[in-house]
Amino acid sequence: MEQLLRGQEISEIMKEPIQVICSGTEYDLRSSVLYFPIRHHSPVCSFHLKRAVEAYGPDCILIEGPSNAQHLIPVLVHEDTKPPLALYYAYQDKGGLISPEKEDYKCYYPFLACSPELTALREAKKRGIDAKFIDLPYMEILSGTARNRGIRKEGEKQTYNDDYLLSRSLYLKLLCEKTGLRDFEEFWEKYFEIQGLFQDTDLFVRQMLTYCGLSRFHTPDEELEAEGCILRERYMAEQIARASKDYKKILVVTGGFHTYGLGRLLKKEEEGGLSFLGEPVDLHGPNQGLQSVYPMAYTMEAADALNGYASGMQSPGFYHQIWKRLEAGEGPEKAYQDAVLHFLATSGKRARGKDESISAYDEICALSMAEGLAELRGKKGPGLYELRDSALACFVKGEHSLSTDAAMRILSRLTTGEQTGALCEEAMRPPLLTDFEKQCAFFGLKIHSTTEQEITLEIFAKEKHLLLSRFFNRAEFLSCGFAKRKKGSDLISRRDRSRIRESWSYKWSAHVTAALIDSSVSGATLEEAARSLLQRRFAETTGCRQGAELLVKSFLMGLFDEQNRMGEQFAKILAEDGDFFSLSRGFSHLAMLDELQDLYQIRGKMDLEKMTDTCFRKILQLLPFMGQTGEEQKQECMECLRSLYQATGKRAYAELRPAFLESVMRMLERKPLNPGIEGASLGLLYGCDGSFGEKIKAAAEGYIHGTEEMRSKSAAFLHGLFFTAHDFVFISEDFIGMIDGLLQRLSVEEFLKLLPELRLAFSYFTPLETDRIAGRAAALYGKKGRDILQGRTVDPKAYAYGEALDAYVWSRIERENP
Amino acid sequence: MDDKIELKPPVEVRYREELEALEALDTERKPQNWRLSPRAVRTFILGSGDPLEWNGRKITVRKKYLGNDALVERCIITLAGSRGLMLVGEPGTAKTMLSELLSAAISGTSLNTIQGTAGTTEDMIKYSWNYALLLAKGPTREALVPSPLYIGMEQGILTRFEEITRTPAEIQDSLISVLSDKVLNVPELGDRGILFAKAGFNVIGTANTRDKGVNEMSSALKRRFNFETVMPIRDVALEKQIILNEVKELARENHMDMMADEDVAEILASTFHELREGVSSMGHRIDRPSAVMSTAEAVSVYFQTMLTAYYYGDSRMDMGCLVQNLVGAVQKENGDDLEKLRGYFQTVIRDKGGKEGGLWSSYYEARKYLR
Repeated sequence: MEQLLRGQEISEIMKEPIQVICSGTEYDLRSSVLYFPIRHHSPVCSFHLKRAVEAYGPDCILIEGPSNAQHLIPVLVHEDTKPPLALYYAYQDKGGLISPEKEDYKCYYPFLACSPELTALREAKKRGIDAKFIDLPYMEILSGTARNRGIRKEGEKQTYNDDYLLSRSLYLKLLCEKTGLRDFEEFWEKYFEIQGLFQDTDLFVRQMLTYCGLSRFHTPDEELEAEGCILRERYMAEQIARASKDYKKILVVTGGFHTYGLGRLLKKEEEGGLSFLGEPVDLHGPNQGLQSVYPMAYTMEAADALNGYASGMQSPGFYHQIWKRLEAGEGPEKAYQDAVLHFLATSGKRARGKDESISAYDEICALSMAEGLAELRGKKGPGLYELRDSALACFVKGEHSLSTDAAMRILSRLTTGEQTGALCEEAMRPPLLTDFEKQCAFFGLKIHSTTEQEITLEIFAKEKHLLLSRFFNRAEFLSCGFAKRKKGSDLISRRDRSRIRESWSYKWSAHVTAALIDSSVSGATLEEAARSLLQRRFAETTGCRQGAELLVKSFLMGLFDEQNRMGEQFAKILAEDGDFFSLSRGFSHLAMLDELQDLYQIRGKMDLEKMTDTCFRKILQLLPFMGQTGEEQKQECMECLRSLYQATGKRAYAELRPAFLESVMRMLERKPLNPGIEGASLGLLYGCDGSFGEKIKAAAEGYIHGTEEMRSKSAAFLHGLFFTAHDFVFISEDFIGMIDGLLQRLSVEEFLKLLPELRLAFSYFTPLETDRIAGRAAALYGKKGRDILQGRTVDPKAYAYGEALDAYVWSRIERENP
Repeated sequence: MDDKIELKPPVEVRYREELEALEALDTERKPQNWRLSPRAVRTFILGSGDPLEWNGRKITVRKKYLGNDALVERCIITLAGSRGLMLVGEPGTAKTMLSELLSAAISGTSLNTIQGTAGTTEDMIKYSWNYALLLAKGPTREALVPSPLYIGMEQGILTRFEEITRTPAEIQDSLISVLSDKVLNVPELGDRGILFAKAGFNVIGTANTRDKGVNEMSSALKRRFNFETVMPIRDVALEKQIILNEVKELARENHMDMMADEDVAEILASTFHELREGVSSMGHRIDRPSAVMSTAEAVSVYFQTMLTAYYYGDSRMDMGCLVQNLVGAVQKENGDDLEKLRGYFQTVIRDKGGKEGGLWSSYYEARKYLR
């Protein structure tokens, strides 16, 4: 059967005993309402739609689209607006209308240059006639859709005009198999996109109605109900009936799947116009939750069905080229061939730029193969599948694998398309978005490409770079996915603090716009939005560490005065925070910020003194009790102690040092002590006062000569000590001897048990220092450091033999090659 | 007259009727010197749903290559163009079968073949001499022994070059001028020594990616070919179907009156598929053996078991014998592979035996032969 089916007209393939075209929806130019079924983003539908408008001459065009975007039609058709673009619908279900969880919902309604909806809107403008969106407002669609169905499907990016309805029925899958085509998309391309261009509009529409009717007929009613289709069709039919009273010739442009449903709900009246047969839809009214809709620039990448968004057609870049050619007046027979040639030549050229060995002859062979395949497959011209097949056969040299796939990846990117849209000046857009774009322009950032860009900022040398860093930090804080720091000083985790440059990557995408629109309720500028999000976060903060981290973020974003405003709130956080670790980390952050004021040249803009002072007092209260910290938090406690010590070592906090040391001593008095913390604390005290050396020795002796259990803690003590004062080993003459004494006392089992901690303890020494320690240890046994490093000497006889052999080989080589 | 039956008749003999019917009914455009049009070649390889009516009989054109239809279409179009076709892939992915089918359908013969080996020389690729005639008559066309490549050029038919990457790279390169200029020069014949290829000539090469020779192929030669990577079958049901089809054909050729057992084919297809993919249908992770777990190997394991059952048994497939043959297929390159197979039985087959029972249980019980 498949052989016979190949190359035939679709009407012959889809012979069905049932009536799949609803009476009244046939393509009849004399009718007062003309239905035009479409597939979203399909060039052939746009092509015939233009012809239909021309032939029918409507006085109104009704288009499937949420009606709460009606006021945005002038923006969509403005001559400065360039597709791809999208309407972005958002709904905050504050009243729990959709579900008790009171979630936020959002969806996109994309328009490409070849989208029939956009063509319809543009044609209406050209003819000076009315154009209206007739679908339910977004919120009502949500409310009429069951959970996790249709537009409420979880875990997917939601697009209003999905085409899944056309491709999912089993019948159609079988039809694809029977016609020898790989999938629905190839089926669609062959019989509609390519073949449709050669047909009369009348025949094309009939075939669309047949196909969509079949698709509809094989979808159960319960499914349509759950997905909100039935409700939407009732509403749309109501709008059509209403419009039929005001206009004489109405063109209705909807997804082909709905045409049958609409036709069933409408009846021709004798006096003209249509009457609505269904039950009117009860709307919830405008004051249910917060509903917003904005136009936004979109990307081809986001519109590609292959990107997992399941909306529209795959590879929109390819079909955009087809549409461009059709618009330029190229005949159907040339449009596909030219587009395939364009993609082969462009991808070949790009691949060559990436050192792929693809020649012009490869491109010639590929074009000839694409044409040959089209003929073999009974297609009227080579399409997307022939393009891919020909590139696969002619551009991939060797086994097809990741290493030979570069040209195919380039082709895939090209067929997806790289264009981004643009909105006209008059477009109603949130001021936040305008501010964002203005700032991008100021900084010279490329936001008209979806390619990832990288930029290195010398934040301490150039003021503009510092401002740009703040801009990136604000965008990052608003989670709009625009910028990401790749390298540079990380003040939050306190890593790479010595770096003086920052390296950022940024990439514009539709998601950035959507996220900015979402944030637009927080402010009119990026600064305002970041500031208000910061305030909200700060209000939710409970710990000192978290609060201080937010302060660091505000510092990076250049929102200095915010820190002053938050003072009172921070004091409250401090009062409630009883966690030593959180307070210590918080204090370190605050001290760091204080220190950085000079580097960033903003001294005087922040008032951190009171905060740091309160924080430190609180730490001093808790510190004496930290000696009993358990093993799991020992390291963190040691780090906190060390960073407090380092902070109080700075001139700004020098006056806090005595109180800190006193607290540490009070801690040491409280027994039992964690040996690691004891060692670390003694090390810190020794750093201030050399007389603590004796105390260290006494404590070490205590562990070494103690009971077996105490001896087992000696490694932990050394670990703590070396963590804060590893130089003590070199200053104290006999400390190495003490460690040696410890090692002598240990049995093999004990030694093996202590080995990991001992290794850790000695990891704080540099290799040179380790050598020095080894030297001293060797001296204890009357040897020198190098003695223990030297291996066994080579047998002189063997050495002499080696030398003789070497000389012989060289003499032979010289003789053979004079 | 020799009345002995040929062990494996060539494709054009096996499917003579189909080819004749297709040729007689072919009304489509043909490239010069092609026996069938590209569409008819496609039908010959991928089958036609409805039988063809020819000479008062109904002839069903069976689908012979199960897998990627688009690949077959690309191969046909490549052969109609100016570049050679290179089929690369794992062993046992039906590259040779596809090249035979293409040759038989396009040129009427699949026998014009060079078998590439490490010992293949340039003479074997281009031409050699009958030395007795050479001495007697001098360098004449009569004394020249044409190679399959020479014959392909002279007659305008396809030349198959099997395992092309097994031959040394410098020998492979002797194809370059032939493929680009379509000319072969025989200097010994003087002015008459230039052979221009006739329309219809082309080369189908096959190369095994396990040999890793494809990468060492010169880029000049690579440019003269369109490459098609033939992937192993990813669908168990399809693999089972292939095993059954092949085994039935082998049984018919060997005049064995024994039905193929679908359940055994399913077990074998599932085993080979899971060992190749490294994951079972129940989600177990499996150590993949280094041996080639191709569909062709599965067919061979099945057929060996069938032969044993037919000649020594009661024409019923014995799972013990199947497992023994499976060991032979798996334990070829690496001693560890048997251990991996044992592990597979101890986990996957044990669980399947417990869940499905029946033949799967017998299969599991036959694990004693894994040694």
